[in-house]
Parts: sequence; C-alpha cells; structure tokens
Amino acid sequence: MMAAETKIEKKSSSVWSLFSSVKLTIALLIVLAVASIVGTLVPQREEAVGFARNLSPAMLEFFRSLNLFDMYHAFWFRLLIGLLALNLLVCSIDRFPHTWKRFRARPSPDRKKPFEGLPESQTALVQGNLEDAAQRVSRLLGNRYKRLQTKEDKDGRYFSADKGRYAYFGVYVVHLSVLIIIIGALIGSFFGFEGYANILEGDAVSSVALRKGGAPMDLGFTVRCDDFSVEFYKNGAPKEYRSDVTFLVDGKEAEKAKLLVNHPATFRGVTFYQASYGKAPGEKVSLDITRTASKPQVTKMDVKKGEWAPLPGEEGKFQVSEVDSNLMGVMGPAAMISIQPKQGQETRFWIFQDREKLEKRFPGMMTQNPKLNASAFKPYTFSLSNLESKYYTGLQVNRDPGVSVVWLGCFLMVAGFFVAFFTSHRRIWVRLAEEKGALRLSVAGVASKNPVGLERELERLTSDLAHLSGEGEK
Amino acid sequence: MASSNILSYIIFVYFGAFMLYLMMMVMRKEVFGRIATVVAGLGLLAHSLAIVLRWVESYKLDMGHAPFSNLYESLVFFAWTIMFLYLLVEFRTRNKTLGAFATPLAFLAMAYASFSPNISSGIQPLIPALKSNWLIAHVVTCFFGYAAFGLSFGLSVMYLIKRREAVGAGNGFMKLIPQPLVLDDLNYQMVVIGFLLLTLGIITGSVWAHSAWGSYWTWDPKETWSLITWLVYASVLHSRLVRGWRGKKIAVLAMAGFTCVLFTYFGVNYLSGLHSYATF
Repeated sequence: MMAAETKIEKKSSSVWSLFSSVKLTIALLIVLAVASIVGTLVPQREEAVGFARNLSPAMLEFFRSLNLFDMYHAFWFRLLIGLLALNLLVCSIDRFPHTWKRFRARPSPDRKKPFEGLPESQTALVQGNLEDAAQRVSRLLGNRYKRLQTKEDKDGRYFSADKGRYAYFGVYVVHLSVLIIIIGALIGSFFGFEGYANILEGDAVSSVALRKGGAPMDLGFTVRCDDFSVEFYKNGAPKEYRSDVTFLVDGKEAEKAKLLVNHPATFRGVTFYQASYGKAPGEKVSLDITRTASKPQVTKMDVKKGEWAPLPGEEGKFQVSEVDSNLMGVMGPAAMISIQPKQGQETRFWIFQDREKLEKRFPGMMTQNPKLNASAFKPYTFSLSNLESKYYTGLQVNRDPGVSVVWLGCFLMVAGFFVAFFTSHRRIWVRLAEEKGALRLSVAGVASKNPVGLERELERLTSDLAHLSGEGEK
Repeated sequence: MASSNILSYIIFVYFGAFMLYLMMMVMRKEVFGRIATVVAGLGLLAHSLAIVLRWVESYKLDMGHAPFSNLYESLVFFAWTIMFLYLLVEFRTRNKTLGAFATPLAFLAMAYASFSPNISSGIQPLIPALKSNWLIAHVVTCFFGYAAFGLSFGLSVMYLIKRREAVGAGNGFMKLIPQPLVLDDLNYQMVVIGFLLLTLGIITGSVWAHSAWGSYWTWDPKETWSLITWLVYASVLHSRLVRGWRGKKIAVLAMAGFTCVLFTYFGVNYLSGLHSYATF
C-alpha cells in the first residue's frame, strides 16, 4: 500500500516537475512558432481549395488528417496552446511561495555582508553627534524608502529600508495576462459567432450566414439597410462608404445607426461592421424589342423580372427570367429572355447592355452561340437598354462576449511588463559609526535588477546623507 | 515632390555616416566618430523634416494622412526609427561603434525604398480600412520595436566578432568595440524594449482590426508572423532570465529573432492576407 502511494506521488511529482520547467516553456514556444510558420505557408480555409487540388491523394490525406487546411483551429494546435497555458500556471504556482518569501522578508539592519568591498563613493566622514545624525538619517530614509528598521549597539547605529518590492509580482501579472487572453478567446469561441450579410438597399434581414458554415444564425431582430453611399478618390479607389441601417424588433423601429469602415455599431450585443459593398441588379429591366416584318418596328418596354408579357406581335409571351449585373465577371449587365411561343419550344438567350463593346472584344461569339444570339427568335431582336442596379452593403456581423476579457488581459500584460522590466526591489543599509572624533557614514544596497541604476542611487543617497549631516554641524 | 527629393539625398548622408563610423574603427581615430555623429544627426534632422513635409504635402493633395500608409513610407519611417534609437543609445552609452552596424540598416532601408522598381514613392490615397486613429499608434509602436530589434541584431553581430577576436590573435581592428559583457547587457536591454513595443504594436493592431473587421485576431499571415517573432523573443527573454543563458546563445537567438522581424515585414508580402496594402 505504502509503496504504491509513494510511486503515485513520485509519478505526479515528475509530471509536476515537467510542467514547472522553463525548458518545456522554451520548447513549447519554439514548437508553436514553427507550427505557426507552417500555417502561413499552407493556404488556410477558403484559399486551400486550389492548393489541395495539386496534392497527391496520399499527401492530401496526410494534410487532412492533421487538419492543416484549418490549422489554427485544429485540435493539436489548441492542445499546444493548452499545454503552454498549463505550463505557465504550474510554473507560477511552483515559484510563487519563493517569491512570497522574498516579498515578506525583512533583513536585519545590522547585516555586514552588503558592506563588503564598499566603493569610496558610498562612504563619507561627517561631523556632528551620533544622536542628531541618526535622527536625520532616519527622517530622510523614512521619506524615500519604506519599511525602515533601526538598530543600535556600542559600535554605532544601523538602518535598513527598501522600496519597490512589488517588482517581484510583475512577472506573475504578465503570465496571468496570457491566461486571461486565452480565456477571453475561449469565451468568444464558445459563446460568440462570426457571420456576414449582404443587404440590398431597402432590404432587411433577420438572420446571417456564419463564417464557419452551417445553418444561418437567427438574430432575434431585423436589420434594414435604408441607404448606402460610396465616395471615390480621383483615381477611382473608394474613399469612404457607409450604410444607414435601422434595427427593428417585432416590426417596430428600435434604433438607427450609421456604419462606416472602422466605425461599427452594436445592437443587443451583436456588432455590425461595414466590411464591403457591391452592385446587384434590381427588378426593373428596360428593353428595346425590334420586330422585323415588312419594315422594322421598335417597341420600348419596361418589364419586371419574372413577369410574363405578350410579344408585340402576339406570337406568344416572354419574360426576363434572370439578370446579372456583370455576367461571368466580364460581360457587363445582362438579362436572360425566355420566350414561350403559342406553339413549340421555349427559347432562351442572354442579351447584353454593352453589346457593341462585346462584339468588338469577342468577334463572332454573339452570332455563333444561339444562347447569346439576340435574334434567336424570329422575327424579333431584343436589346437591353438599361438594367436597374442597386448597391448592396456587405456587413460583418459578430458577437464576441470575450472581447473585454481579452482587452483586460492586454492591459495587464503591458502593465505587468513595466513592473517586471522597469522596476526593481532595492534594499539599502546605512551604517553610522564613530571614527576619530567624527562619524563614518556608509551606504550599501542590493537590487533585484539594474545594478547600474542602484549604484547611481546609492551615490546620490550617500552625498545627500553626508550633506545633511554636514550642515547639521554649523 | 520635395519630400521624396530630400529623402533620396538622405540615402547618401547615411552612407557617409556609415563610412565615417567604419573609418573610426579601422583607423582608431575618435575624430571620425565625432564627424560621423554630426553627419548622422543632421541626416536625422533632415529626415524628420522630410517626413513632416510629406505629411503636409498629403494634405495639399487633399488626401490628408500620416505618412505611414504604404511600403515606401514605412521603409522611410523604419530608417528614421533606427537612426533615432541608435543616436539615443550612442548618447546614453557614449560608445560610437554600434554606429558602424546600425547606420547600414538605415541606409539599406532608405536605398531599398528609393531604388526598388516595385516601390512607388508617390503619395497614395488612404483606403477606408486605414482611416483610423489607431494607424499612428500601431505603426509607431511596431517600427520602434523593429528598430530596437535591429539594434539588437547589430549588437549580436558585434558580440560574435568581438568574441572571436578575443579568442584568436586580435589585430586591434575591433578594439573600440565594448567588452562582450557590456554588449550582452545592452543587447538584452534592446530586446526588452523591442519586446515591449512589439507587444504594444500587436495589441494596437488587434484593437484596430477589431473595429475595422470585427475580429481582433484572424491568423492572417502578418499577424501570425508577428506572433512568431513575439514567441522567439519571449524565448530569448526566458532563456536569459530563467535559464541564465548569456553571450553567444543569446546573440544567435536574437539574430534569429531579427530574421523573423524581417520576414514579418517583407516576407509576408509574398503570402496573401489583410495587410496587402503594405505590399506596394
């Protein structure tokens, strides 16, 4: 029984010592760095598709099994971060008692060791009687330092004091801040969401698509884009774009907001960011329909997408079945005409607003391909004179309840750095002893870091103390 | 534009300062060092004026933004931070030898900005995402951090040279370089300053990204590489403060760290991501 218990204890203590070692910290930092490098070289998420296509099946399987296409969200990457957090926690717990002891320690005033090998600049002979000098030293040290202690014996007077002992905790604050940031990120990934919505001017949505995929997320309220406007620089680059939106709850207007890039708005814990914009075709389509009988006759018509209308010559009916503000990314505004004659097959073809330009750019294409031939249904020729277009606003829609926790962590990290790197615990000892009818003043000190700074401080303190006692003489 | 003209002359001023610092070391004559400091100081003054002028010019062109918005402007500012920080260190330490290792970094940054055919020196309008008060805070903290890491790199090189010279038969060429112990300590200070500023740079960037794109961290390549750099310097600090590493190991690690800085700055442009406006 006893043997088994000590074995367990030993085992757990070896796990403890593994996680309390800085070797592990450095190893984890470097492994995380290397893994992150891999993640920047292998295309991630949406961009991975093209890359994955060029991989052999075995490689693809390998990449997929390690989740390398979404590496930063992979289990093993999160595990590494978790191990680092655990390492941090164990290290801090392991070292804290020692730090606490140093924080609490009050060294005795009459220590001799700090005075060994004292430089010339930290000692002086001063006039006056011991009692007065001791009082002045006490007062000055009490003003500049904390936890002043005094002691006296037949050889003289002894003082000790310190300041800045909170410097020991700086490193714990920094490490705690890392844990807080990780916790903030976890809160965000468990209780938040990242989505997006493209809303046409005048339209409203009450749910958004999620970045990670899956079913759309219901917002519990409605957001309507009342107006969208964009301004351009002379060179055509967008200068500023903004959306005026209204949030509606149960059909009633609850709040209005202006969204600009870098100026999001929050409603009921959900934040809306102006992310992008684009043009989408509206409903209204203007057509010129030419009927060539004995002589060509042009009819101008405004139709709505999806609504059937009779042909001018009554041979049947037609509709605009599809519209695209830039077909295939190069063809410009386009509409698909579907014609249903009284007898026979339905005919479908695309017509283009920029027909003349396209004919120059792609000679022959319009007439050879029946799907692009505007005169495919005799005796008519259709042409697109205008396609109504509307702006849509692209909104990033997020909820992240962990953000304030992350900011708290960031603030603590910077504050902790200042304490850890730029403050130090300085302990000083002062000794006053009678020597040849005068008083020998000696000043010594120890600092947890920045020995040069301490030396400067001790020199100044020595001269201040000597000056003080010297003046007392007159 | 007047500002780009001034900036193209400054390349030669910094090259001159570099040569003077070298001559000081080779001939072991302090007088060259003194002239070098004056030349470098005047260069920095003109450099500062040119940056302010460029800022004013952008308002005249009706764009009105701080000159930190493309690769040309960032390289110019990077060179400025290196020279500023270097002269500060020279003033504090009263040793001029680091000048021979710091001025070439500033000179190279300026020369790259002006001579590379891929870098346009024109003032460009600011895209909406860059219109934020965080721009200045983010760029200033990041580049001062980079500059501190640059000086740390110079000190690491000096350390390795000095150490080799101390072992072999010294020809006196490196006599003016401070003792290895001093170099090591100064190197550590630079890493601390750089690390603090890089941390602030990452935080200000996160706050900004959060207000512009809705997410404080998206693992975009530039963000990730800045984290990699942060991790490398964090391990430098831990190995020194806790494991007690000194000297050569720290020098080599600090050089690896600066390689990461350079990749964060330039290499990432070959990968796609949100920071793409800094590419050209």
